[in-house]
Amino acid sequence: MSGASPTSRTSTAERFSGRLLISFTYVAIALLVIGVVLMLANGISPLEATPIFDLATLRSSVLALDPAAFLWLGLLAVIAAPIGRVIVAGVAYAADADWLMVGISIAILLVIAIGIGAAVAGTV
Amino acid sequence: MLVGLLLLGGGALAGAFGALLGLGGGILIVPLLTLGFGLPLREAAGVSLISVIVTSSAAAGVYLERHVVNLRLGMTLELFTATGAFIGGSIAFLLDDRVLSVLFGALLLYSAVTMARAKTEVGLEEGITPDTDDETDTHVRPPAATDPDRLSGPDYRVRNLPLGLVGSTFAGIVSALFGIGGGIVKVPLMHLAMGVPLRVATATSNMMIGITATASAVIYLTRGGIDPYVAGPTAIGVFLGATAGSRLAHRVDGRYLRLLFVAVLLYTASQMLLRGLG
Repeated sequence: MSGASPTSRTSTAERFSGRLLISFTYVAIALLVIGVVLMLANGISPLEATPIFDLATLRSSVLALDPAAFLWLGLLAVIAAPIGRVIVAGVAYAADADWLMVGISIAILLVIAIGIGAAVAGTV
Repeated sequence: MLVGLLLLGGGALAGAFGALLGLGGGILIVPLLTLGFGLPLREAAGVSLISVIVTSSAAAGVYLERHVVNLRLGMTLELFTATGAFIGGSIAFLLDDRVLSVLFGALLLYSAVTMARAKTEVGLEEGITPDTDDETDTHVRPPAATDPDRLSGPDYRVRNLPLGLVGSTFAGIVSALFGIGGGIVKVPLMHLAMGVPLRVATATSNMMIGITATASAVIYLTRGGIDPYVAGPTAIGVFLGATAGSRLAHRVDGRYLRLLFVAVLLYTASQMLLRGLG
């Protein structure tokens, strides 16, 4: 990697980002499929009351084969894919010493973090 | 069980229809969930955002591997679409469902008019997995990192960047409010106003949708605006439908499909307007 030119490093980052997005998508779809199959097997109607999202109990719920837990995990994987892509691109730009793009990558992640923080705090 | 299968099938239809016409499924998912399943528009928008991220991630992954995306331009504009999505996601929880319905109806009308006037030139849009047999994308050279104008590509020069930044913020707001990808704003903005070739604009818009929708989806998710029981089957359906639709796109006569789609858009627009005003 150290001998690679900036262009080839960016190109590698694009390829890696692409694979990351595709991999995350398939993982997300797989988790969602498991969740939906469990949901249907348990006779749960999609129009029933929305289950509560609780990160603290997610692991135990997955082990208990709770359909909602697999669906939540799938949704988290969906959302993580684009965030992972930005992180990969940011790292590649840092390797190129392209600090403007590194700053933009960090700023994008900050906007998302502020959104989560504001929603948790109930200010939006 | 029946409702779950209907969501799966409806999502697949929306995804396939969208892919055949070069659109993401978002513009069809929201009416499907609100008019078909009686969900509040805000909840439908949250579910739609998830579906849009799934399909755009799959498509953007392929575009990135083929180096069709202008990553530098896309990430620069993404900062503004994400900011717009944060604003839109915040506004969405303040607006009445009926107001959102009227606004969405207006958006559908605009889409119908745009689609009716569109020429066959329009390429792949957001949320569509590109047909992997189509190798034409590889002929587009990637933007050079050493280009003096850092956001431009080797064969084109990006212009009107300030307009692009403002337009991207608007696209983010629209995306967050209605649960759509926002390509209907971003592609014309990049192609017509900023001078980006259509195929690059389409691929770059597609990649941007992931972060744009994520910025508002995290707000919807944190505020309990996404129901996993509805989002799961719908997202799987849209993903399968979009994948199948993109592979069938070359074998279907787009003219009749486009007319049918305009009719569907006009009908759903009228229903959304009635829902909001009635």
